[in-house]
Amino acid sequence: MIRPGLVGIVPIGDIPVLVPKVIAAHISGYLDLETSILEPMRSPTYALDEQRLQFNAGTILHKLESMPFEGVDKIVGVLNIDLFVPVFTHVFGEARQRGRAALVSLFRLANGRSEMAQPPPALLERTAKVALHELGHLYGLAHCENEPCLMHFSDNLEELDRLTFGLCRYCTRYFTDETT
Amino acid sequence: MKKKMSIMVVDDESIVRESLYHWFAKSGHTVDTAASGLEALEKLERVAFDILFVDIKMPGMDGIELLKKVKSAYPDTIVIIITAYGSIESSIKAMKTGASDYLLKPFKPEYLSLVLEKVTQQQRLTEEYNYLKGHLERINRFDNIIGQSPPMQKIFDIIPNIANNDTSILLTGETGTGKELIARAIHAKSPRAHCPFIAINCGAVPDSLLESELFGHVKGAFTDAAYSRKGFLEVVNGGTLFLDEVGEISPKMQIDLLRVLEEKKITRIGSSEPLDVDFRLVSATRCNVEEAIERGDFREDFYYRINVIRMHVPPLRKRIEDLELLANHFLNKYSQETAKQVDHVSEDTVTLLKQYSWPGNVRELENAIERAVVLTRSRTLTAADFGFLPPSARSEKKARTLKEMERAFILETLEDCEWNITRAAGVLGINRVTLHKKIDRFKLKAYKK
Repeated sequence: MIRPGLVGIVPIGDIPVLVPKVIAAHISGYLDLETSILEPMRSPTYALDEQRLQFNAGTILHKLESMPFEGVDKIVGVLNIDLFVPVFTHVFGEARQRGRAALVSLFRLANGRSEMAQPPPALLERTAKVALHELGHLYGLAHCENEPCLMHFSDNLEELDRLTFGLCRYCTRYFTDETT
Repeated sequence: MKKKMSIMVVDDESIVRESLYHWFAKSGHTVDTAASGLEALEKLERVAFDILFVDIKMPGMDGIELLKKVKSAYPDTIVIIITAYGSIESSIKAMKTGASDYLLKPFKPEYLSLVLEKVTQQQRLTEEYNYLKGHLERINRFDNIIGQSPPMQKIFDIIPNIANNDTSILLTGETGTGKELIARAIHAKSPRAHCPFIAINCGAVPDSLLESELFGHVKGAFTDAAYSRKGFLEVVNGGTLFLDEVGEISPKMQIDLLRVLEEKKITRIGSSEPLDVDFRLVSATRCNVEEAIERGDFREDFYYRINVIRMHVPPLRKRIEDLELLANHFLNKYSQETAKQVDHVSEDTVTLLKQYSWPGNVRELENAIERAVVLTRSRTLTAADFGFLPPSARSEKKARTLKEMERAFILETLEDCEWNITRAAGVLGINRVTLHKKIDRFKLKAYKK
């Protein structure tokens, strides 16, 4: 039985333990949703595009959405690989509007740094922002024109860093309607 | 606030369609997809899209061919070409064919945002340009007189020439042909353009009231004259007076107006003090005035005074080649007014509309298009949207006997010659007396709706 509002966080591949915890804390704190950190999954080698040497985010999403994840309403997969969708060079994260699963990858958010044993606070913050943004799409939110709003579309790390964790009043209203 | 766009992604690869579909949907745009050029064209016939993202390489109709078809049928639709590295030449070809931009696969998400922002701005500028252009045309007062047919071109040529002098003009033509619009155009092009243009439909105003409307009255002039009032001949001061349906004016009023035209002075009802007036007279009638003179219903001297220059406005059926142009003009007008995206009349429908006789002329066509736009559920008007039109009177009443054929032929010749008996007799190869006899025998009358 699915518990409405329960968000499962799935580490996929080699992910620092702290990252899912930070994401879970931000989801609870800012979106007021229950969270549960699920069993880790193996690295998604099935999604590797050998020509691009990147991982197809759509393929991973399909896989996650086909899995039962008992009792969980939405799923956020956390990875540390270079994700792409076919027309784009890369993505920080991916979700389909009103879908069940979202992805966030540390790979491009780390900006070339690879000291993953102790992820720096800036990386944790970025990862949490992308996770919450993609989760917003799962609850039907679209990109928002208000720049500090979490749902504002950010093309690059600078823009991402300027976003706040908060939703603007319109997105808050929409999100509350969707989750209550 | 940024405008949300309606976007169609045309690509034979489902994975590309899916990626872009979700990306645009997440940005709040309305999105649809098509797997081929043909499917895209089918969808475009039903729904209007602001932007098309088109893959250049597709089996069957390729992106360039689709781009050409879209730009020819829906020039306002923005097309952005998506292409892979290596086909840059095709991208250049696409830009030359009318694509607004192109994207090389794979692209950074920020490039897509930039392109979207650019085309949105471009669309806004185009809309502003169209608005201002329309506004300017309205200022010029030629916006509603539409026609490329020779008779209309002749009218357009004449208007600037006759606008500059003060001679009286008589416009003839059936109802709904646009006589008032031509009168307005003459006024707008004349040195009197900054003064009022006053139009009076003489047929709609009772004779007793018309006198008071034109000449004004002083307080106590008649029972209901509780206060003094200026007439239109005074109010129009310096401008143009348009008397529509001048053939309906009573002989008594014709004498009064004749005096005003000769003396340029009026006297308000109940007053004895003459006032100077200055106006240009443009009259219009749908009747055969010469016939009315012969019957004694219209004064010859008044006729010569108002008929210094005569212009005949042809009925729509005599300039049927203008129908498509007019239909598209009204379609544009009413789709904007009703905020419905209806922007095409199918070719078959244009052919059908051209077969109808349009007894109510341009006005009837305008009403028909308005009704069709309001009721249609498609962006293209088809024959089914004009089901309310009666079958053409002309095609129904085909002559069957020799006598009927003779009658129809003589009537058509008379209409072509604007009921000029001498000219019509010449065309028919008979003398005037014989033609008069035939007119009497067949009880022919000038067309009057």
